[in-house]
Amino acid sequence: MKVDSHVPGWETQLIVNDIEIMFGGQAGDGSLTTGDLIAGVFKRMGLEVYTYKDFPSRIRGGHTNYVIRAGERPNYGMADLVDGLVAFDLEAVEAHIDELRPGGFVIFDNTSDQLTDAVKRSDISWYEVPLAKIAKVDLGLELVRNTISLGVLGALVGMDPEIMRAEVAGVYKRKGEKVVALNVRAIEAGENYVKEHFAEWPSGYDLQARADGDRLIMMGNDAIGYGALVAGCRFMAGYPITPATDVLEWMAKYAPKFGGVAVQAEDELAAINMVIGAAFTGVRAMTATSGPGQALMTEGIGLAGVLEIPVVIVECARAGPSTGMPTKTEQSNLNHLIFSGHGEIPRMVLAPGTVEDSFYLTVAAFNLAEKYQCPVFILSEQALCQSKATLPRLDLSRVEVDRGKLVVDPVVFGEYKRFAFSDDGVSPRVIPGVEGGMHLAAGSEHNDAGVITESAKNRTRMMDKRMRKLESAKADLPQPLLHGDPRAEIGIIGYGSNRGPIVEAQERMARDGLATRFLELRTLWPFPEDEVRDFISDAKHVFVVENNFTGQLERLIRYVVGPLDRMHSVRKYNGRPYRPIEVIEAIEEHAGIRPMVRVR
Amino acid sequence: MALQLTPKDFATATPSWWCPGCGDFGVLSALKQAMADLGKVPKDVAFVSGIGCSGKISGYLHSYAFHGVHGRALPVATAVKLANKDLTVIAAGGDGDGYAIGAGHFLHAVRRNPDITYIVMDNQTYGLTKGQSSPTSQAGYVTGTSPQGNPDAPINGLGVALAAGGTFLARGFSAHPKILVDLIKQAVQHKGFSIVEVMSPCVTFNKINTYAWFKETTYYVTDDPGYDATNRAQAFDVLNLDGKMPLGVLYRDSRATLEELSHIPEIPVAHANLDAHAPELASIMDSYR
Repeated sequence: MKVDSHVPGWETQLIVNDIEIMFGGQAGDGSLTTGDLIAGVFKRMGLEVYTYKDFPSRIRGGHTNYVIRAGERPNYGMADLVDGLVAFDLEAVEAHIDELRPGGFVIFDNTSDQLTDAVKRSDISWYEVPLAKIAKVDLGLELVRNTISLGVLGALVGMDPEIMRAEVAGVYKRKGEKVVALNVRAIEAGENYVKEHFAEWPSGYDLQARADGDRLIMMGNDAIGYGALVAGCRFMAGYPITPATDVLEWMAKYAPKFGGVAVQAEDELAAINMVIGAAFTGVRAMTATSGPGQALMTEGIGLAGVLEIPVVIVECARAGPSTGMPTKTEQSNLNHLIFSGHGEIPRMVLAPGTVEDSFYLTVAAFNLAEKYQCPVFILSEQALCQSKATLPRLDLSRVEVDRGKLVVDPVVFGEYKRFAFSDDGVSPRVIPGVEGGMHLAAGSEHNDAGVITESAKNRTRMMDKRMRKLESAKADLPQPLLHGDPRAEIGIIGYGSNRGPIVEAQERMARDGLATRFLELRTLWPFPEDEVRDFISDAKHVFVVENNFTGQLERLIRYVVGPLDRMHSVRKYNGRPYRPIEVIEAIEEHAGIRPMVRVR
Repeated sequence: MALQLTPKDFATATPSWWCPGCGDFGVLSALKQAMADLGKVPKDVAFVSGIGCSGKISGYLHSYAFHGVHGRALPVATAVKLANKDLTVIAAGGDGDGYAIGAGHFLHAVRRNPDITYIVMDNQTYGLTKGQSSPTSQAGYVTGTSPQGNPDAPINGLGVALAAGGTFLARGFSAHPKILVDLIKQAVQHKGFSIVEVMSPCVTFNKINTYAWFKETTYYVTDDPGYDATNRAQAFDVLNLDGKMPLGVLYRDSRATLEELSHIPEIPVAHANLDAHAPELASIMDSYR
């Protein structure tokens, strides 16, 4: 169906249930709340939603934007281009005008800033609304301009008016009826403005509600917190750091309700040592941090490895090094998680690719940590851990708490050996309070009874015992997922937040006749050597797609599996997640494949 | 009625690595005596130590002992107590462990006031690395790393703890075992974070702060009938005396513990119900619908 746009001479295809909205303004102006509101409305309209927060590392001021994508298929990532920009100032337009799709639109608050010729592209629709003025003059509170813009947007793209009102009521309920009523009036004001001024200018987009079903909308960090709680985590210690703080906040809210405790430590050195101390007593314990904190935890993680104490460490990666870009995404901490630390310990690194998998892999992490008595990392990224997505209701019946060789009944002192040598490298683990199990847990090398020794023979046996756990654990590790055509000649390898854009790129290439297969790694250490070797053995080209400068995953594959001249490294390191088109272009460029038809 | 244990019941078979005459022997035997006197049982004692000569003490106390990394005994001990409030939790370490590399944690443990005991074995030198200056070494102390004399002023650990809100501050001398046993017992019985700083001479490397020197320099506040250990100003005064080192319980106060303020449940966190299929867990999902 063709519709007229108010852009002269521009005719556009009506786009149904496929939209990416960018909500842009200054940090602290409430755009995050409104972004969440939009995501909530889309979700209740039965659409699949993904959000991405691109905000500065400051509380007030600085350009911020919140991307909300909705469609009929699960997205887990951003589209190539933005369909609609809601801009509260000229800076937001200037910063993002090039990212708009031809035929897209801008809702612009022209109360103070005015549009310039330089930004006013002729191939998009412009809806200028004095949002702040309406808020102040008609509603008496400038703050509600965000909600007015929601009314404008809703009217232009067909957001369900009832759902919008219900969502607003839900979000502002805590602030009282007056605030709810004011915000409902703000929506009406936005809708009326569209009726009065833009009735003849449709946006070219239409959203049609579907059944919402029994679905959730959750942020990656929430799914990690929830996964931890369900898996039996009852102790968390952490130090606030973007983008991992949400996990500590989540546990601080919920752990006490289930007999647990969350501690804000004085630094990450304390946090990791608290987690180790707590785990020593038998409680399932975790911490969450990001690059700089991870660096400080390195010594403690080595301690957990040699003490054979189960700990779970959530790494919410951001752009480094040093302070880097705290609110931006990157996959540059893979080497750190796998190789950091003095000495050698068994460790595991799991990497979820979706919010849903963040839950299930967190559960897996706690079972692996306790079963193999070693540190287990959950590697997420800003573009996943602070993004919301829709997902099916989580299946708690799939969760089993496996406490491994935990011993809670009395043992015979002298016979019991905490670090007993065993075929699988794992020893029975007593906890304080168990009669007869008294021993020394020492970071110094020790014998099977825990007595410190520097004996050469014992050292070799003890190293063998601890490191053997990685072999024993193989069958228990989360397996890679294969997406696309299993027989395709073109292979792609990646992990984490890149799953969304890669799968979407695959679908578009497939529609254009190019088959691909994608191996999504969910365990990064111990490295799934056999699976990766099989995957690349008969591929004509293998593209390793990752979000860092040095190609850490690609180098890891070369290190473990061996060199391969058909392997191409695709890298991005500007702090932003991939868009599908970037994956498509990278594959065409490297592989010399015929130019692709660009699909929206 | 449980059988009364003796200090021997808190001994391990591990031979000590300390030099003959080391002050740490006195700390260890006082600790074992205190545990026995208080009717503690090894299975319910968690003993966390740092790194250094003093840190080795955890290997010599029959208990659930933990010998972690340098400077981090207090975060470990704090978490052990939070995770299992039924345990008697004691941390021990040297002046370097507590007042240099672990100084930050020391301050925050004082602030938090967990119901644990911290024994600082102060020998005013780094013994295990062969005699460098420590945070409590006197200014001018000549060592391998300070050949022109230690340029740093010594830290007043108990003074810092008092300023930070410490609720039990005591100082003992390892050559006065009976009094030390009493101080440790009072510390363990104190509800809150108790610190026992023990002057524990290093006979091998510290030729200045010797047993004889301590006997000259120290006095017990109990010798002063006017001393009131609940008077904060008086405690500050004696902690800032020039050339005189007060021993005994210097200050005691009472305020809520970390466990109380963290609303630790009656059932220890370590023994919480981990039923993944509890309906209350599933209902959390409703807030994400």
